[in-house]
Amino acid sequence: MNPRHDVDPHEGQGTAHEPTPTIWPVGFAVGIACIFVGLIISKIVLVVGVVLTAIFGFLWIRDATRPFRGEEAPAEPEPSRALPPGTPAARTSGPDPGQGEIVRFPRSKFLEATTLGLGGLIGVIVTAPVLGFTVLPPFIKQGHPKIDVGAIEDFPENKFVIATYLLKPEDGEVSRRTAYIRNNGFLDESPSFTILSNRCVHLGCPVQVNGLPLDDEAKTEKTAGDNVVTRIPTAAAAGFGCPCHGGQYDTEGNRTAGPPVRALDRYQFEIVDGRLLLGQTFSVSDVDGTGAEAKIHTYRLAGPGQHVDGPEGWLYPVQPPR
Amino acid sequence: MNRRLEERRAYHARYKQTVKTRGKPFFPYAMFHDTVMSLLVVCLIVALAVIWKYTANEGTGEHDSGWLGKLYDEKADPGTTNFVPRPDWYFYFLFYLLRIFKWPDSVILGTVGIPTVALLLLLALPFIDIGRERRPMRRPVAMTAAVLTIITMGVLTYKGATAKEPLAAENLVLVPKWAAKQGFAGNQTAVDGAKIFAQVGCMNCHTYLGAGTSNLGAPDLSKIGKTSNRGVAGFATYVSDPSKFGNNVMPQFKDLGADNLRKLGTFLQSSGTCSPKTDTCPAAGGQ
Amino acid sequence: MANKPQGRSHQLLQILLYPLNWLEERTSLPGRSGIVGGIKYFLFRKVPSDISWGHTLGSAALTAFIVQAVTGVILAMYYKPDPNSAYESIRHITDDLWAGWLVRGMHRWGASVFIILLFLHMGRVFLYGAYKYPRELNWIIGVLILVLGMMEGFFGYLLPWDQTAYWATVVGVNLQATGPFVGPFLGDVLRGGSEIGPDTLARFYSLHMLVIPGALAALIGLHLWLVVRIGVSSPPWSPTEAGRPEPGPPPAPRKGLVAPAPRNGLAAPVSRGARRR
Repeated sequence: MNPRHDVDPHEGQGTAHEPTPTIWPVGFAVGIACIFVGLIISKIVLVVGVVLTAIFGFLWIRDATRPFRGEEAPAEPEPSRALPPGTPAARTSGPDPGQGEIVRFPRSKFLEATTLGLGGLIGVIVTAPVLGFTVLPPFIKQGHPKIDVGAIEDFPENKFVIATYLLKPEDGEVSRRTAYIRNNGFLDESPSFTILSNRCVHLGCPVQVNGLPLDDEAKTEKTAGDNVVTRIPTAAAAGFGCPCHGGQYDTEGNRTAGPPVRALDRYQFEIVDGRLLLGQTFSVSDVDGTGAEAKIHTYRLAGPGQHVDGPEGWLYPVQPPR
Repeated sequence: MNRRLEERRAYHARYKQTVKTRGKPFFPYAMFHDTVMSLLVVCLIVALAVIWKYTANEGTGEHDSGWLGKLYDEKADPGTTNFVPRPDWYFYFLFYLLRIFKWPDSVILGTVGIPTVALLLLLALPFIDIGRERRPMRRPVAMTAAVLTIITMGVLTYKGATAKEPLAAENLVLVPKWAAKQGFAGNQTAVDGAKIFAQVGCMNCHTYLGAGTSNLGAPDLSKIGKTSNRGVAGFATYVSDPSKFGNNVMPQFKDLGADNLRKLGTFLQSSGTCSPKTDTCPAAGGQ
Repeated sequence: MANKPQGRSHQLLQILLYPLNWLEERTSLPGRSGIVGGIKYFLFRKVPSDISWGHTLGSAALTAFIVQAVTGVILAMYYKPDPNSAYESIRHITDDLWAGWLVRGMHRWGASVFIILLFLHMGRVFLYGAYKYPRELNWIIGVLILVLGMMEGFFGYLLPWDQTAYWATVVGVNLQATGPFVGPFLGDVLRGGSEIGPDTLARFYSLHMLVIPGALAALIGLHLWLVVRIGVSSPPWSPTEAGRPEPGPPPAPRKGLVAPAPRNGLAAPVSRGARRR
């Protein structure tokens, strides 16, 4: 009787006739792969491939031909299964499936854990970049190019001008935005502007001027950075109204009626060489006073419908970077 | 508790037994109905597409709309200043829900609060209504809730479909109707004046032929040319600075410029003085 | 019946059936049916004898979904999900392609029909009390299908890239962005940025034609599987309602609780029919 049968009754009968397990073919395959890659890319890789193929090929052949050469195949290392040969229980009990089960248990446990682990690893490898790809963009700071919307003289004092421009000219019309710009004249010798965004702070609809756009006096100008800016002066602008859900704003952008949760967003601006450049937008809870003397309560830019102050503001503690 | 569960299990066991002994095979009996219905659905979809296509003109304007709406709207313009967005009909209820909550502090109720609660209630329905009774007439609470829901959705949808904003873009649409009704369609200056009237916020306080909102005691202006009869120049002067006439409520409209004020004056003088039948107005200038 | 081979026609039948038998043998377990057996079971399973037109709304919705899938696939062959060419490609489909208007029209109106049928189907299930034990899970799956169906409508709405589409999407995304705490981030994820930009359209396109339809198809499959497993419910007022206890002493105390229930209309024939049986 083959002693192996005492150890493990479940082992197949034909074990001795099958080729013994060996890992040399893996190296052999790597060598072949190196040869193919080397043929295309570089001679060094080719040489390495040839060497690897030769070494592992030799080892594999030596392994495979061992039975024919009359050598004993090395026993499989199975520390968890092999009972100490001298254990009387093992000899006397003979084939005992129950005991075999118990002994096999750790290994199947190990396989379960490994399979689940490897599956999880595949999941992570696949989903991490995918999730990053889809979820990450909003967390990247988008930056704000300075936009030249015209010379200061193009903005008559105390009148709103509807200025449409491209936020990112390279993106095309999808980045077209509108700002309502009012020249407040000079405050302590520096020019003052009120620049309101036309996105309603209720849910982002395009706010309209409650006044008369003087379409005849519209001007289109190509400004710096391939931007195409259109300026339409208005007359008698008494405020702004949202066409969606009835929000109304006064000329400072303060809410006067309807659901808007704060005042209209505003733009930072700077004057360079007599030209008006729009900068970043920011949110405003409300504005006291008017024109150049207005006191503006500013906040970081928040999305429409999101309170920036008061208890409701606590609902939006963190804003994505803009 | 346990008894209820047993009752339900027994009910389902009886159900399975009845179906097994007295049921009919799905094919062809039930499937016949299904197939007829599916055919109807496909025909309905094709019919809608055909009606949509053949009643509409190939264009994006207001008059190109067929029975089922336009073939296409104008291309998206993220910088628009005169577009009035409206959702598709099946979102009218949500659209109107947002208009109901017109106080800033309650915005979140309309946007996420109520829809979320409604969805959770819908999901939890089988765990709220745990009675075994299935006959509608014996589930008065459930049926009442269902009827109320349907009525609410219907009303919200209707209100959403008919919602209007006193805005320039919405008022402008009315100008041709005014011109036809008041009989100044032939007078281009008056029509231009009407457009200015529609845009500069007059209708936030004044009403005109049923449109606009009445605020701060401002009068209806549908017949102002007849009742006030200041003449074109007179109206222009009045509007440019009402305080000179003792009216300290109405804002000044000097900003419009002489030309626009003259147009506005012509429009006001034409209101109620022109003849819709002959489409003629008395000589401009009034008195 | 056919205990003898009946010549040529029998042989022909065998040849025709061979692929089915082949398929069945390779998909079945001993004693359990395979694909062919499953389809046979689906087709010839018993359903309550009193079901009728009310029960066709679900399969009608399924038909509408299939119409959407087919027309959607065809539209995807011509549609260009890019802000600079989306609108033009829609006009190209509608104006230039043979029957393009029909495919687009069917997809557009099929969406409305699908949603309406989902609501009608839900109303029918509610009326019949068919969400009760043991069909609770299927009700939940159904509600999820409705939600996904509406999301499908929302994401598809932007694709024509016209004024209505654009601004409806602006409002729709901002709605979700007002959700507390995570809202602003959710909005940015949906748009792929703080504003609708060049990538938003492609993002919506992917969601509209890959992610959500996949989820919808899976849920519909699960829904159907449960319908077949549990069985469809009889109309509750039917005299032969499957599962009704045999006529015995009526549950008298309960009646007292709901005394004002009017015994007219639907309720009357129910009780009469039950007694007759």
